[in-house]
Amino acid sequence: MREPIIRLDGVSKSYRSYARDIDRVLEILTGKARHQSFNALEPLTLSVAKGEVIGVVGKNGAGKSTLLKLLAGTVQTSTGSLSIHGRVSAILELGASFHPEMSGHDNVYLTCAIQGLTRPETDEAYEAIVAFAGIPDFMQRPVKTYSSGMLMRLAFSIATHVNPDILIIDEALSVGDGVFARRSFDRIMEFRNAGKTIFFCSHSLYQVEALCDRVLWLDQGRIKGEGAPARVITAYSEFLQRQSAITAPAPQAAASSSEAAPVPAASTNTSVPRVIEVNVRVDGRLAKVHTLQSCENLVEVTVNFWAPAHLPMPTVGVVILGGDGRYVASAGTLNDGINLRTGADHSGSVVLQFPDFPLLKGCYVLEVYLLCERGLHIYERVRQVAELNVEQRSLELGIVSLAHQWLSH
Amino acid sequence: MNLLVRLGRLCVDSLRVPLGAPLRHASLVRMLVQREIAARTSGTLLGKLWPLVQPGLQVLGFWFMFGVVYDAGSRGGPSFLQYLMLGMLPWLCLSEVLSRSTGLFREFSVLFARSPFPLEVLPSVMLVIPGIVYGTALVLTTLWMLGVVAALKAVVVIPLLLLWCLPLLLLCAVIGLFVRDFGQVLPFLLTLLMYVTPILYFPDLLPAKARAWMWLNPLADWMAVIHAGLTDAVMPFNSLWRLLGIWLLLLVPSWLLYRRTLLHVRELL
Repeated sequence: MREPIIRLDGVSKSYRSYARDIDRVLEILTGKARHQSFNALEPLTLSVAKGEVIGVVGKNGAGKSTLLKLLAGTVQTSTGSLSIHGRVSAILELGASFHPEMSGHDNVYLTCAIQGLTRPETDEAYEAIVAFAGIPDFMQRPVKTYSSGMLMRLAFSIATHVNPDILIIDEALSVGDGVFARRSFDRIMEFRNAGKTIFFCSHSLYQVEALCDRVLWLDQGRIKGEGAPARVITAYSEFLQRQSAITAPAPQAAASSSEAAPVPAASTNTSVPRVIEVNVRVDGRLAKVHTLQSCENLVEVTVNFWAPAHLPMPTVGVVILGGDGRYVASAGTLNDGINLRTGADHSGSVVLQFPDFPLLKGCYVLEVYLLCERGLHIYERVRQVAELNVEQRSLELGIVSLAHQWLSH
Repeated sequence: MNLLVRLGRLCVDSLRVPLGAPLRHASLVRMLVQREIAARTSGTLLGKLWPLVQPGLQVLGFWFMFGVVYDAGSRGGPSFLQYLMLGMLPWLCLSEVLSRSTGLFREFSVLFARSPFPLEVLPSVMLVIPGIVYGTALVLTTLWMLGVVAALKAVVVIPLLLLWCLPLLLLCAVIGLFVRDFGQVLPFLLTLLMYVTPILYFPDLLPAKARAWMWLNPLADWMAVIHAGLTDAVMPFNSLWRLLGIWLLLLVPSWLLYRRTLLHVRELL
């Protein structure tokens, strides 16, 4: 076991609620509890080694954010002991400690001071912080005049330039959009490559599994699973599927009348790869809503994209979702070892074929992802590319007709 | 025995934590102090000199009023102007600290509500500026009126006064958090306290009946100790012991209350 950098020993967090305001005052005066507790996190014992990347998964209200806030020091433990050896920086509520009346420059120094940096250390980091945030002309203005994007960029830049030993990330591996999103993703990857300890909480199970060394599954404030990502994520996915079977949302139809998938507004950014168009054909017929026969038709997904030369070639992923929203199947160029190419105009195209489309009867929806070269950072997600209404002549059960053979002796 | 050990530990903590905070978080305290000075003086011609110029102008005003216009004589003892100055500057310092302390948590809530801001630095932030401003003003005024030896003694007056008022600061901060009206009432109470304390008049001008009750007013004790300490008068040890007693009596309870309140502050604001 490597040197532990974080140790939680019976750490719990409960939030107090009081029937009357005066009860809180009386509790402080007398030291006698007069509140009702809501346990956000049950006593938790955990040891994290230096350099580990820990993923935290769980439904909303499972205690993930509370755990991250405890580690970040923005809430205090109710019981137990928490020891952290090293500087913690959190990408939680970016800009939360900014003083609106102070300039960007002063807020850099203030936030760094809160993080425990000395003045010379902040002096040293200042230029890099400003350069990364990309707002040098605004540093002398009060942050109350900043747009939310500028605030977030400055806060992210500070959080990742204070030389933390432990980085806490809530939900997103990147912040902002366009070029900054890619840069922020690269910055986080630098931390991972430098052997820093990372706590990453996300609903994106794919990213958690791809990035983390160990996964912690929280449910109702308790650890429900802990260990190797593949094992815990599988167990958690099954749990989610059981839950969604009870409260399954109705499948949403691909409502657009256009035959090509609509491209979101974000794709107008010309500095990062973007999806130009997605077409779905069944036996060569282009449409948004298809009706097809199981195991009989050829389904083709054509993704036209644009990728600038200054970034590594992106990858493409296609996901098929069932009517209940669960992932049924997926295919990715990274996973299949396909290298994309672009022409002189930096545009390219890739076609994914599903011969004799093997899914059984049901309603399916296709989604397309344009991802970074590692398949982690999402440049663009195109939802509901097409709807496939699969009919079936045979009497097979389930959702897929697996390639199979019978041997009779 | 255990109780005594616990009490001793609490006493040490009540001084170590708030007063040690500027050492542990030097950059942050300096940043907050600079921010406050900038907020008070930005856009002015004299800029950062204003915090020092203001008490200087007050001293000049008192000198003009009582040294020139009324020409308040010495009556065989210290001059009234000298008496007024040596009492008024520490009083203004104390008054500023206590008045501001009622809004201690609200003033800084934007910084600590959702960040790992170390709350223990707040009391020291409240003390630094009045300490520097009125400490400097008192030393310079004493140098002007009483000479170098008295000025050297004056160096410790404001730090000791601030150390003494630390428990009051913590109490005012806690009360101000829960009872917002307290912040409005306290300046009035402080003004009343100033009138019943021999700051604007010699203590022997008080009626004998009122003088008999002065032991209940710790500010009167402070005035007596300051004047005796800076001049050649006999040190009133009764006053000194009373001040020490009050301080010791308030130190642990105020710290306990403040510490318990810290656990609620982020939930409240």
